[in-house]
Amino acid sequence: MSLSPSTEIDLAVVRDLLSHIRPNDDQEAQELILAALQEINEHFGWVSLAAARLVAEHLGTTENRVYGLLTFYADFRTEPRGKHFMLVCHGMSCYALGSQRLVQHLQDGYGIGDGDTTADGELTIQVVNGCLGVCDRAPFVKLDHDFHGDLTPDRLDAVLGQAFSRGAPGER
Amino acid sequence: MSRTHATPVNAVDARLPASGRLADRAAFEAFRAAATRRWDDLWSVERMVVSVGVDSSSLAKGAVEVLAACRRELTGSDAVVREVSGNGALWMEPWVEIKRPGQPPIVYANIDPSEVPALLTGSLEERALGVRDGDAFGGIPALDDHPFFRHQERIVLRNVGVIEPESIEDAIARGAYSAYFQVLFEMSAEEAIAEVTASGLRGRGGAGFPAGIKWESGRKAKARPKFVICNSHEGEPNVYKDRRIHEGDPHRILEGILIACVVCGAERGYNYIGGEYPLAIQRFRKAVADAERLGLIGQDVLGSGKSVAFRVRTGGGAYICGEGSALMFSIMGVRGQPRTKPPRSVEEGIWKRPTIANNTETLANIPDIITRGGAWFAGIGTEGSKGTKLMTVQGPVKTMGLVEVPMGISLRTLVEDVWGGMRDGSTFKGIQTGGISAGPLRDDHLDIPVDFDSMTELGGMLGSGGFVVFDQTVCVVDFARYMTAFNRYESCSKCVPCRLGNPALVEVIDRIRLGRGSLADLALLERTSKHIIELSLCGLGQVAPMPLLGMMKMYAEEFRAHIEEGVCPTGTCPISVAPSALVAAD
Repeated sequence: MSLSPSTEIDLAVVRDLLSHIRPNDDQEAQELILAALQEINEHFGWVSLAAARLVAEHLGTTENRVYGLLTFYADFRTEPRGKHFMLVCHGMSCYALGSQRLVQHLQDGYGIGDGDTTADGELTIQVVNGCLGVCDRAPFVKLDHDFHGDLTPDRLDAVLGQAFSRGAPGER
Repeated sequence: MSRTHATPVNAVDARLPASGRLADRAAFEAFRAAATRRWDDLWSVERMVVSVGVDSSSLAKGAVEVLAACRRELTGSDAVVREVSGNGALWMEPWVEIKRPGQPPIVYANIDPSEVPALLTGSLEERALGVRDGDAFGGIPALDDHPFFRHQERIVLRNVGVIEPESIEDAIARGAYSAYFQVLFEMSAEEAIAEVTASGLRGRGGAGFPAGIKWESGRKAKARPKFVICNSHEGEPNVYKDRRIHEGDPHRILEGILIACVVCGAERGYNYIGGEYPLAIQRFRKAVADAERLGLIGQDVLGSGKSVAFRVRTGGGAYICGEGSALMFSIMGVRGQPRTKPPRSVEEGIWKRPTIANNTETLANIPDIITRGGAWFAGIGTEGSKGTKLMTVQGPVKTMGLVEVPMGISLRTLVEDVWGGMRDGSTFKGIQTGGISAGPLRDDHLDIPVDFDSMTELGGMLGSGGFVVFDQTVCVVDFARYMTAFNRYESCSKCVPCRLGNPALVEVIDRIRLGRGSLADLALLERTSKHIIELSLCGLGQVAPMPLLGMMKMYAEEFRAHIEEGVCPTGTCPISVAPSALVAAD
């Protein structure tokens, strides 16, 4: 497996995802733009410009509008993810119990802030401004499909070290 | 039914009622009767029933593995293993409830998957926490006597942690769609709205607008089609109530929306769910699919001649989409940016049609108001705030979780009793109220009642019921920065006061945190806040500076210490650490 993420997503898969989205009228088509983007983002971890064009074409709208949505809603990425993807909860419970220290540590130790990917392509993080809802295990992260709570900067290092040595999670 | 049945799930499901489309009211009544018999059998037959609470917080702690271990251990026995939802008690998770033949259901807390074999063979009895829904048994107290549950009155949460959320049969056996049935066949729209009005139910999303008035204007709106929206966005950084209702009892929400559609004459209902809650979305979609299968959604529901369509939409991680007009724009596939009002959404909402928008918890109260009457509901709570309220807490308390308590309970009872007081090593410093739309309260304020109106004089607010307890290690200047930076990040950028005002506030707070602040900065913060409050377009912008102003009012001396003495009393701010450490985390 290559370390550097591919810079385009498989448009055939995008077409297949879109083929299941069949609006009955123009209003419903507009209501489904976000849903279509969510499916693509969920599948690939990001939405490329070419994929956004396909969405626009499929739902009868402009690529400007689709890209406007991609850049407004925080869940979407317009660049590929690293091998591992980590949500860092920055809700108030996590804040009150030290998530700021984790964010700081990721900046100092790994050189990444919200939305960034490490230079070696191993890790992308997203700082979640809302709440992941596991407040009694704060501060809390979701790394790929696994949950880790009660974190300190040292424990976060251990969690990341383990994940890096395991390699990327399987393609979904 | 044989007690040596090889496949435990089927042992119960043999009694499942027929599950095709229900053509008329008699078919629904027969279905309900069959589902009720099945439910009663489940608990009365001499068989082991094991329930594991799985929701978005407990699955992060291994609840799915605990459930799998239970299934593995009990393969080949006649025991029934059920996947229910968490009951709000985060501190208990993962928990397992076991009903053995001849015994009441007993809840065991904090179970590790490796402990399941011992648990099931009865050699982990010291971990028994309490008896659910009954009296003490064999030295094990009733769960309802535990301080976390003792003060609760569960209406919205009645089935949460009890039913299997993905089973429409469980939900119907416990009363789901009975109120819907009533408004379809036995009650006029006027009568239904009269009950909602008499109940005194006020919107649970934060503003507290009377639901009956909103429904009345929704019903009177002439334009067609009309829509009902359930606002399940819940994007605040300190609230986790609505997703728990979705995860534990999705049919209650769906029923509330369907009732609103029938009563207000709306052709279509929507539920807009925050995208951060995959399990809530999954379970709610399952509920919608099951209701469609039974014909509770669609054309000519149960032969009543009434039709309701339904759509689920999910958010994309933008806090602003919790604002009513922004949410509607998001549904219509554009950026979620609020618009000026009027027109109100009951006049012009989705696709410029009348739209009745309610919070999830508001709608989840509706079924019981219909079946038990507005007067019953109005008998709970205080003069101005009727019923119960879901409340969540975060921070260093001992028994963290979601609770449903009558309006008017004192904040002290909540913090010290329900939520167990402070953890060892933590001293109470304050409690942030109203999510991110109000200020904090101190220890000397804790005796006030919690309802819509009592906290506002002090700068606090009930809001959506999210509280954050903080201790001596939290610097209020840093906390205020956190909340202001949240607003800076989440501003939709449409109007200037919010888009430029919040970054300006953060800059000034940072100056204070760096030890370069002056007393004039405090006045500047107040002035800028005033501009944001008075000039912002939407409700979220208008309250954005409230946490900062509240912190400045309640902890003035701590702000002054940063400025006048150049110290951060808790040692949090960059004044007291390396100057290079100032990195924005938003």
